[in-house]
Amino acid sequence: MSSKRSWVSSRHAVLVTLLLIWSLAPMIWQLISSFTSSEALVNGAIPFQNRWTLIHYRELLSSDPPFWRYLLNSTVVAGASTVLTLVLAVPAAYVLAQLPRRWRRGIRSGVMAAALFPYVLLFLALLELARNFHLGNSLFALALPYSALAMPLALLLLTAAFEGLPKDLDDAARLEGLTLRQRLRWVMLPLIAPASASTAILVFLFAWNEYPIALTWLSRSDLLTLPVAMARIAGSSIYSIPYGAYAAATVLGAIPLLLLVLLFQRQIVSGLTNGAIKG
Amino acid sequence: MTVLLALPALLLMAVVFGWPMLRYAWLSFHADSVLTGLVPIPNGGANWLRLLTDSRFWLDAGQTTRFAIVSVGLELILALAIALLLDQRWRGRSAVRALSLLPWALPTTMMALGWRWIFNTPYGPIEQVAEAAGFGPLNLLSTPAMTWIVTVLADVWKTTPFITLILLAGLQTIPEDLYAAFRLEGGSAFQALRRVTIPLLMPYILLSLLFRMAQAFGVFDLIQVLTGGGPAGSTESLALYAYLNGMRFLDFGYSATVMVGGFLLLTALILLGALLLRMTGALRAMQP
Amino acid sequence: MRRGFRIASGLIGLLFVLACLAWSGQKQPVPVSILMPAPYADASTQMVEAFNREHRGSIHLEVIRGPLETESISDLAISSLLLGDTPFDALLMDVTWLPKYAEAGWLEPLDPWFDQAALDQLILGARLGNHHKGQLYRWPLGADVGVLYWRTDLMDSPPSTPEQLSDIAINLVQTKRVTNGYVWQGRQYEGLSCNFVEVLHGFGGQWLNPATGQLELDATSAARAAAWMQSLITTGASPKAVTNYSESESLQAFKAGDAAFMRNWPYAWAELQKPESNVRGNVGIALMVAEPDQSPAATVGSWGLSLLKQSPHREAAVEAIRYLTSEAAQRERFLNQGYTPTSKSLFTDPELIAVSSALPEIAKALDYSVSRPPSPLYAQLSDLLQRQLNGLLTAEPEKTNRTIDTATAASAAAMNSVQTKSDMLLRATGAEA
Repeated sequence: MSSKRSWVSSRHAVLVTLLLIWSLAPMIWQLISSFTSSEALVNGAIPFQNRWTLIHYRELLSSDPPFWRYLLNSTVVAGASTVLTLVLAVPAAYVLAQLPRRWRRGIRSGVMAAALFPYVLLFLALLELARNFHLGNSLFALALPYSALAMPLALLLLTAAFEGLPKDLDDAARLEGLTLRQRLRWVMLPLIAPASASTAILVFLFAWNEYPIALTWLSRSDLLTLPVAMARIAGSSIYSIPYGAYAAATVLGAIPLLLLVLLFQRQIVSGLTNGAIKG
Repeated sequence: MTVLLALPALLLMAVVFGWPMLRYAWLSFHADSVLTGLVPIPNGGANWLRLLTDSRFWLDAGQTTRFAIVSVGLELILALAIALLLDQRWRGRSAVRALSLLPWALPTTMMALGWRWIFNTPYGPIEQVAEAAGFGPLNLLSTPAMTWIVTVLADVWKTTPFITLILLAGLQTIPEDLYAAFRLEGGSAFQALRRVTIPLLMPYILLSLLFRMAQAFGVFDLIQVLTGGGPAGSTESLALYAYLNGMRFLDFGYSATVMVGGFLLLTALILLGALLLRMTGALRAMQP
Repeated sequence: MRRGFRIASGLIGLLFVLACLAWSGQKQPVPVSILMPAPYADASTQMVEAFNREHRGSIHLEVIRGPLETESISDLAISSLLLGDTPFDALLMDVTWLPKYAEAGWLEPLDPWFDQAALDQLILGARLGNHHKGQLYRWPLGADVGVLYWRTDLMDSPPSTPEQLSDIAINLVQTKRVTNGYVWQGRQYEGLSCNFVEVLHGFGGQWLNPATGQLELDATSAARAAAWMQSLITTGASPKAVTNYSESESLQAFKAGDAAFMRNWPYAWAELQKPESNVRGNVGIALMVAEPDQSPAATVGSWGLSLLKQSPHREAAVEAIRYLTSEAAQRERFLNQGYTPTSKSLFTDPELIAVSSALPEIAKALDYSVSRPPSPLYAQLSDLLQRQLNGLLTAEPEKTNRTIDTATAASAAAMNSVQTKSDMLLRATGAEA
């Protein structure tokens, strides 16, 4: 491979550029449009220096509720879901990793099947639960179904992580007189930290991007998560030519996620990779 | 008993995954609509009889299947190409990998909004380019023939990075020596792909295929925001139809029936796919 | 020192509590919010301001601007109501949604506030679609009906029967005096159902029999109505493109002078009198055609205000409703935006007629109003009809040169299919047999 590096590089450069254009062009277009005035959006003839404005962002941030509210709501839900998922999944994964091989395969198949399930189909039953138990319009209640939906992936990753720990470690710690809680807290958790981090970020992303359940469980405009708010904005006609505002909303909504991905890309990649290999 | 530690997680999963399908199966044999005050009343097989003759259900089933097959097919091919590119060692690889992951991280409904603008007639960039090139107004979001292609494109854009990562993981398990040995025997790069890469990548390809087929079959977010099922219901998916039955028509019993029906179709589709794979696998095994 | 400190803090605390009591005892205006589709919300801004000025300190009215898409407003409201949440007090309700909301128990009956006398001064079309199971649930804001627009420069008088309409349209097209004969809404959407209802009544049929509660699409009249609509296309009386037309496309064609007849709502009149219209001054309004022994019909499409059951401010909300539907409000809405009024007296008001000479014709049409089936499941029933009818209209039949007003095999099959599926729908959703 290395002998062909120089020739390969130039061909690669073209392909890599194409890849980057394909991945980023839509977002870049949104960025450009968000700073373009409404008149310039429909009139390409307006000269370059007159096309720019901050009005779309201003409108978004001064609307009722202001746009950052949705980002806050999504963060709360995603945070609560991540905490709940980890709190439930870590002990469960510890137990599952210790089961005899036969059981483990069966449970893994079950968990895999759950991971494959198109969860949008769950919306009606979950709506009934929300109605009957008054779980609607509560950001924290939403963490319950989200944790359940994220659990298969969390279990897969964490069980694999626990399985990767040396067998004797747990026994040695037990001999030292540490209780289960202490063993988990001081010995296991630090060792599976990379897997926990991957799980956390993947669950966070999932909860942030989830749509059908949030759509049916949340109706108050000040409680909407980002995806639901975007859908509502899509249906509205607050702006005469709405696309500048749409673009601004897209950019603002994307910023937190872009930051998350860029900061935690290693964890995301290793999480999905391990999930694929072990799954 | 440490087993108790696993109970909350498993219980939560059982409730959220297990309960709905059981409830739907039960509801599908009941009338549960605004006419019954949203209280289930047994109605025998009336919902199922209605489903069998419901042209909208079968139309949507066909549209959803077509969408899933085309979308996942394109994603696999594209993801394989990108994974092969990212598998090789070159400078800036991890940065490019991170950037190519961005489409997957963004909420579908948010990008759907973006796509509506990009494909807008007459002001969107695509339309502008087409007009400048003389292709005339494409009307991409108002003709049934073109709109479903836009939905496929949007779906491929979003989910390809996910498959890319899975295939990348698989590629990294293939030892370098195999390629070296193959090349020593005089094989070309393309043949290496066919004879070495793809067979060894099969489990990952199948995993992606299975996962993505199930997800694509349940496509909802994209369709609801990008096209609303239009124009004239030509992009409506089964999930959207089930949703409309519940939330717009207040017909919970039928919504449940549509979902069970859809789930059964998905299972049949997957089994059919598995069968086809087995047959083609058997055929290939017979080749010298 | 310590004691002094304690006394001081006690006094301050007391003062604070008193201040709070005083502040809360001060009368806050009762907040009332009403959800409306964007166009109506915009049309009401000045009225809302006037209301708030008049009721300063006692009621504060806010209009929530809903999505542009009609159905999306209902979706928005339902998503809150299903969760037991009521984010607004009243809702501007389309006539076809009323049975669904009323049946679901989300609406408060308005009978205590609006009596028979109030109902009697409404024009007939506005009186339809406000009741469910005998109770009043909606007070109308504006009532529209479908009417037939005709070109006064191409003929002396408008047709009154389907055969006449077809013949004149075909004739005008063949003699090249106009590009298209008759444009209407044939796309697969609610507009098609509205068109169909008028034709159906013109052939003596009805969709839902109010006395028996049964659907009657398997009657010959339905098949004949569908056959006639199809024949419009096959004989060339209507362009093939009509199967994809909604109101705006038909208006566009008629306004450009490309059509001799158009079926549309009253709003089109103002559009056609604008300077850029090619048919300005050459347009007349008539009732939809009907067979000689049948009464013409005009599908009513109306919006009205409904009070939500969970509203904590009923009296104030009704006050707002009354204001927004008062004659003064109707007058203003008509003069500024062209929205049809609901009070009988306004249709003979000289000031309004001076603005729109079509008002007497519209009033006449409103007296021939018919409504679509008032079923909570109307949306699904309409969907079944639209699909089959649009399928029939776009299918390739044998070419024919005669206007068809007898049932064809295809049209009968389509209507019977709608009937069967509708019956299955009603049975499966728990309707009483």
